Formats: sequence, C-alpha cells, structure tokens
Amino acid sequence: MAMTYATSSSAMLTPLHNRSPVLFTFSTTATKHNITGKTSRNHQIRCQQQQVQQRNLAPVEQRWMFTDSDFTGPDVWNKTWYPKAEDHVNTEKTWYVVDATDLILGRLASTIAIHIRGKNLATYTPSVDMGAFVIVPNGVLMPINIGKCRESCGIRKKETQKLYRRHSGRPGGMKVETFDQLQQRIPERIIEHAVRGMLPKGRLGRDLFTHLKVYTGPDHPHQAQKPIDLPIRDKRIQKQT
Amino acid sequence: MTRIRRGYIAWRRRTKIRLFASSFRGAHSRLTRTITQQKIRALVSAHRDRDRQKINFRHLWITRINAAIRERGACHSYSRLINDLYKRQLLLNRKILAQIAISNRNCLYMISNEIIKEVSWKESTETELPGE
Repeated sequence: MAMTYATSSSAMLTPLHNRSPVLFTFSTTATKHNITGKTSRNHQIRCQQQQVQQRNLAPVEQRWMFTDSDFTGPDVWNKTWYPKAEDHVNTEKTWYVVDATDLILGRLASTIAIHIRGKNLATYTPSVDMGAFVIVPNGVLMPINIGKCRESCGIRKKETQKLYRRHSGRPGGMKVETFDQLQQRIPERIIEHAVRGMLPKGRLGRDLFTHLKVYTGPDHPHQAQKPIDLPIRDKRIQKQT
Repeated sequence: MTRIRRGYIAWRRRTKIRLFASSFRGAHSRLTRTITQQKIRALVSAHRDRDRQKINFRHLWITRINAAIRERGACHSYSRLINDLYKRQLLLNRKILAQIAISNRNCLYMISNEIIKEVSWKESTETELPGE
C-alpha cells in the first residue's frame, strides 16, 4: 500500500516542482510525510490531496500561508456573491407600508421602486428579485403633484393637464384620460402607473410589479405580514404647505 | 462517367461545427448552414461579452457598495467613500469591498469610519498651516 502511494505521490510531485521553485528543496523529506498522511485520507478529492501536499511541501516558516482551515469550502472572496434560492424566498421578505396622503407622486413612486427592486440592499442582484413588498394605503388622498409655479399660481395644473394614454391595439383605439378623470375612475392606477414606469421592463419587472399593493382606503388586508414603515430618505417628498 | 462523391472532408469540418452548436434550440442545431451562422454569432457574442463582463461586474460591485454605504446616513455615499479611499491610499478594490459589504457589514463600516477620521484629521491639520 505504501509503495503504490509513493509512486503516485512522486508522479504528482513533478508538476508541483515546475510551478513553485520555493518548494524544490523539500522533495525528499516531504515524501515520507505524504505517505503517512495519505493512508488515512483514501477517499479525499484530488485537489484536496494536492492542497495537503502543498502544505507539507512548504518550508516551515511559510506554512501559515497554506493553512486551509478556513479555505476548505467554495471560494467566497474571488467569486462575486450570487444569491442562492433560500436568499430570496418570498415568505421572508420585508413588507413596508407608506401612507400616500400628501406626498409628491413622482418622489413617492421613485422611493417605492427602489425598495421593490432591492437597490437599497447590499445583496442587490439585477437578475434576481431581492426586493421587498410595499403596501400603499390611502391611494386616493393622494399624492398631489405640486410644482413650484403652482404654489404661486394656485392653479391645479397637473390634475387637469396630465394625460394618461392607453391603446387597445386596434386602429383608432387610443384612449386618453386626465389625472382627475382617472382619479375618479380607478385611483389605484395612478400610483401603479407611476411605479411601473420606474421598474425594469421585462419578465422580472412584471414580477416585481406584483409586489406593489395599492389600496384606496386607509386599511389593507396585510396585517398578518406585520409591515413596517418605509424609511424615506427624500426630504422633498412631503407636500410643502 | 461514374458518379464520384466528394468524400468526407467537408463532412468532417461541418461535424466539428455541429458539435459546437449541439445544444442550440430548434433549427439552430439541426440545419447545416444555420449551424455555421449561429456558431459565428455565438463566438462573436462571447468575445464581446467577455469584455462587457468586466464592465458589468464592476457596475454590480459599485451598486452593492453604494447600497451598503448609504444605509449609514444621509452624508454617506459611494463617491465619498472612494474619494476617501484614494486619499488614504488604501488599495482595496471594488470587488473585495462588495464582498465585505455582503458578508461582514460591520467590517465595512469600520473601514469607512477609519478612513473618514484619517481624512478629516489630515484636512484639519493642513488647513492650520499658514497659507500664502
């Protein structure tokens, strides 16, 4: 048994010699160590055997470089982290609540989109849904679009002039609505339209959009998820009075 | 004249290409002329994307570092962190910073605090020097 191991180890030693001149002088002494070490490790993977060899071949003062007590697993440092399946389970994602009363529409939608996409997390991955769920009650009382000129003019410019267009696909099928009309008809659609324009377009974007829940009234059916308040960093999101 | 087949030369060349495209979808792995075209396109994409891969990963690391740093507060941002890193002459690259941000967030905060302290100390001592 020992003889076969000696021949195999010597066969493996020669490529190591060519690669690392530092270990050259220790070939004869190292083979003895290898034989005793290998008889107990018959079923190891080959690269681990080579690691063991490298450690035993190294001079004593350099052995600290090859101690692989931490490095037996996959390489964490040189491969960029990619989430595994358990890192983005839907049941363990955070749920946020934002009350939409008196908030500027675009700034609110921007913050929501960032949190849904997951860009505020260090574990952000563009191909994986790592974001959170966002609930928006009071979607009617709504984000009011206020611009600087409006405060001075006092005219409700955007409510009467912002148009929402959609097309049915047939010729002449363009339908146009103003902000006011849409707010009377389907108020949730305003915030949804704004957020959908800020999320990526594609399969993943459409899945992300389903994480947004907008409700007209102040209450929502997601109490069981224990949503927390959305941390808003934007200072100009509140309506200035 | 008897009929003469042209032999296996072209057939051998095409088999190699066919092996390359053996996992492609539909006609792209079945029809010879399409196979040659798709192999060329695949190799061109691979060549171009090897360079794009380096760009894409750097963007990803920057986004991740930015996200981790901005959680600290309003005045923290990726740009300031990198500026302080360069002033301190710290050689950590973005890949390692991103991996630290994910695995060991406190370590990243410690690094950024140290850098900010050093940089602000240096700036305050420099401003004390008499200027002309």
